[in-house]
Amino acid sequence: MENNDSSRRDFLVTGLLTALTAAGCSSKKNPFDSYAGDEVKASGETVKLLSVDGEIIEMDKAFLKPVPDLPRVSNSEERKGIEGKKFVMVIDLSRCKNVGACKSACNHAHQLNPGQNWIKVLSMEDAEHTAPYWQPTTCMHCDEPPCVKVCPVDATFKRQDGIVLIDSDRCIGCRFCMAACPYSTRVFNWQEPLLTQEVAAQPYSCETSMPQKKGTVSKCDFCPDMARKGELPHCVSACPNGVFMFGDLNEDSVTNGAETFRFSELIKDKAGYRLMEDLGTKPSVYYLPPVNRNFPYESGLENETNEDKHTHSK
Amino acid sequence: MIWTAALILICLIGAYAYYRQLKYGLVVTNMRDYVSWGIYISNFVFFVAISLVGSLITAIFRLANVKWATPLTRIAEIIAVSAIVFASLIIIVDMGRPERMLYLFLHGRIQSPIMWDVIVIGTYFFISLLLLYLPLLPDLKILIQFKEKTSKALNKLYRFQGSFWKGTADQLKISKKSITLLCIVIIPVAFCIHTVTSWLFATTYRPGWDSTNFGAYFISGAFLVGAGGVVVAMYIFRRFYRLEKYITEKHFEKMGRVVVMLALLYLYFNVNEYLVPAFKMKKPEEAHLTQLFTGEFASLFWFAILIGMILPILILLFKKGRRPLPMFIAGMMVVVGAWFKRYLIVTPTLLHPFLPMQDVPESYHHYFPSWEEWAIAMGSMAGVLLVITFFARIYPIIPIQETISEQHEKDEEK
Amino acid sequence: MKKNKFSFLLLPLVFALLTNPLAAQEDSVVAKELVKLKYFNDNNGVQFLILENSLKTGKKIEPLNNKVFQLYLDSNKTENFIATVTTDKTGKAKSFLPPSLKAAWEASPLHKFIAVATGKEEETAAELEILKSKIKIDTAIEEGTRRITVQVMKYENSEWVPANEVEMKVGIQRMGGILSAGDEETYTTDSSGTVNVELTKDSLPGDEKGNMVLVAKVEDNDQYGNLLVQKTVPWGVALKTDNSFFDQRTLWTTRFRAPVWLLFMAYSITIGVWGTIIYLVLQIIRIKRIGTAAS
Repeated sequence: MENNDSSRRDFLVTGLLTALTAAGCSSKKNPFDSYAGDEVKASGETVKLLSVDGEIIEMDKAFLKPVPDLPRVSNSEERKGIEGKKFVMVIDLSRCKNVGACKSACNHAHQLNPGQNWIKVLSMEDAEHTAPYWQPTTCMHCDEPPCVKVCPVDATFKRQDGIVLIDSDRCIGCRFCMAACPYSTRVFNWQEPLLTQEVAAQPYSCETSMPQKKGTVSKCDFCPDMARKGELPHCVSACPNGVFMFGDLNEDSVTNGAETFRFSELIKDKAGYRLMEDLGTKPSVYYLPPVNRNFPYESGLENETNEDKHTHSK
Repeated sequence: MIWTAALILICLIGAYAYYRQLKYGLVVTNMRDYVSWGIYISNFVFFVAISLVGSLITAIFRLANVKWATPLTRIAEIIAVSAIVFASLIIIVDMGRPERMLYLFLHGRIQSPIMWDVIVIGTYFFISLLLLYLPLLPDLKILIQFKEKTSKALNKLYRFQGSFWKGTADQLKISKKSITLLCIVIIPVAFCIHTVTSWLFATTYRPGWDSTNFGAYFISGAFLVGAGGVVVAMYIFRRFYRLEKYITEKHFEKMGRVVVMLALLYLYFNVNEYLVPAFKMKKPEEAHLTQLFTGEFASLFWFAILIGMILPILILLFKKGRRPLPMFIAGMMVVVGAWFKRYLIVTPTLLHPFLPMQDVPESYHHYFPSWEEWAIAMGSMAGVLLVITFFARIYPIIPIQETISEQHEKDEEK
Repeated sequence: MKKNKFSFLLLPLVFALLTNPLAAQEDSVVAKELVKLKYFNDNNGVQFLILENSLKTGKKIEPLNNKVFQLYLDSNKTENFIATVTTDKTGKAKSFLPPSLKAAWEASPLHKFIAVATGKEEETAAELEILKSKIKIDTAIEEGTRRITVQVMKYENSEWVPANEVEMKVGIQRMGGILSAGDEETYTTDSSGTVNVELTKDSLPGDEKGNMVLVAKVEDNDQYGNLLVQKTVPWGVALKTDNSFFDQRTLWTTRFRAPVWLLFMAYSITIGVWGTIIYLVLQIIRIKRIGTAAS
């Protein structure tokens, strides 16, 4: 009897806690719990559910939705970033086949105009005798970002979680950041962006980078809105070959969804490097060299756009 | 009249083009993600460069007691003021969100070279305005005196601006001291303005811009184009206002020497700027330099060097070349060459980013300004000329009182 | 003779070649609607179903938004109704089991979940058979090595018996994935339904208190669905959040944290020059006063 009672109590408590975890929230700022954190407020309304053991448990209605409705984050919170995290990305060049799923997923998720690619999959060949390879290039989210240094109005800024974000409500469109970025990763809205009604109506948030505005700059943002929910950026989930790996330097791990690695080990084992290290920008994106390739370089040529077929050079 | 009408027409076309740009966005230009800075920015640099002439002719020559330059001071100053005004206007035109201009003051980041540029340009504008106004005061007195020669409206303007100037010894003393102080202060500000503008490029990593030489390079270029501009203005005013007595052949001769010296100096900086990286041919710079010397931009590059520096030097080295008409031609060449030089500083570098240009539409690989860009650029230049024209119609383009005082001094010396 | 033999082979070969491209073309044109049901059991408590609805055209898979389905337990009868769900824009819908099905749930260890599309009630859109299971995680520290033991049980003949041949991931919960505790990607239970994993990675970062969450996850098992169990242990290195990077004065921070030397230079030059300008304006005013006084 006693056993039953205590185990039932335990069970109810763990049930509630894991229900919270399952629905994506926790009551403490534990970096390992899902990231909705203490942001989803209990509505007070509870619902009864059937557990595995045939017990009836109660759960707050707010946590029942597939993705809990997160309250809107204020602009100052968006400028500060998610506490306790330092995002990092690892791109495995030995797996990239120029499939382009990353580009379509990113462009679709952020409703980019044709011609605007936040991710550019570049066909690279460093020198005459070196190997050609496909290099997906995102924003490097540098630790000493040249773009942030030159912005005159604080429209682009570095957050404490490492992400460099753009506030389209502040940007004056001077394009100095585009000139300053050595990775040419920034993109400009030369005209009114083509948006669906739904997106155009929603209030602007730096973290979703939507809706885009005419006359402002935009770039890859490491999907901080997804990170807040504990999910991976769109490109990481979309890549069929697991090329992109995203994670937290503080946790020392990166994952592409299916595989998870200890970041420090991965970089050491596979001799990871960063682009243009000698410029001193300290990027947050690491590349694993294209050795022991899964696919030959040529298999990516079939996916090249018509324009790139002509300009296949540096 | 035709002159003014033509200028106004060009300005109106430019205004219409700008209206289109405001309506549709910067897509009406041919700037795209790689060449994100085009002729608006090269025009901006060009105007800032020309505006330095105020500090050269007016300030430096005054401080150095170069008496022959006195008739030229007002021409130089009005060119400077007009150019700096349109430099600010063209930079606003280039902004994607001009209505957010106030953010520069509300949320400005002091770490950004653009903020430094905003501060220096604003400061330089006010200083140049003061340097235009103070020496104008004695002339206003003369203008008010001869009120039967001017219209009623203009007379009112003159009275409002300078009726308090009586020419007393006290006033003269204060005025003289103030002008001297102004001349001293304007020189470092002028150096700052063009150095900071050059830092808009030199603070980036790009080949062709990543140069420690840029500050001095830009300033020497600015002095040259400013001097060239003054020569052109000298000639035109001399001819159309029949000022042969005041802007004499001697003035041309002396200015010619100044221009030659400045052109040689600028040539020296160009050699440093291009020859040294060409010797090393570092990978990011190789494509850029090859494109300038022998590639797509070669004709433009050699044109700018030849017309902007070498030919004027050759013309002006000889005494026969330092006569009014040849000097006018040389001056025009310097100005035109300088405009193309500024374009060559801004655009070719942007076509050679570190990473290959891929995954973008084909049009992103090239840049030739659209008609709207040309219209606005021409409009801004017409605007500069319009301001100078109107100023010359309202105020004496030669400082009357100073010329008189100098004449007296010369007579006394004799 | 030879000729005949080859020509005999040639005909079917040609036929096959001709029909194949046609078949491929047909496949790429016809779109197929996919409905998938998944069962989740978290920490032996909360259980839920996730329904995925997508459209497959050739190689592309598109999630379908706003599709309504009815879910039932074991059979399509109204008393076995679980819930009505609508897919969101990722094509997924989630449902929990209502308390009304308590009796039906406890009646048998083996259950079938049925999904029926609204408007197409005669047709079963998707079906999923699940055997009730339990998953347990235990930790022990023996002689300096840290061990994780996971046991899976299934409900058979009114009692819990060990479930063997169950593949699972055992490791530490990280953002977006599970870092394997040992050297292998997955572990499979033996005849006693257990998996023993030694934590070979040392000095793993934990949270501020040095806690980390151990996870055992069974993914898409044919019999048991998705099982998840978590345990928090103090085996991690305590994380020291260092905000000094963010608070320092550099060229790439906000305007409120500009470097002191820059502020000094900018302000001194600006104040110096503008001070002079103001002085000069005052001088002009002086001149004006002298002038108006003299007249």
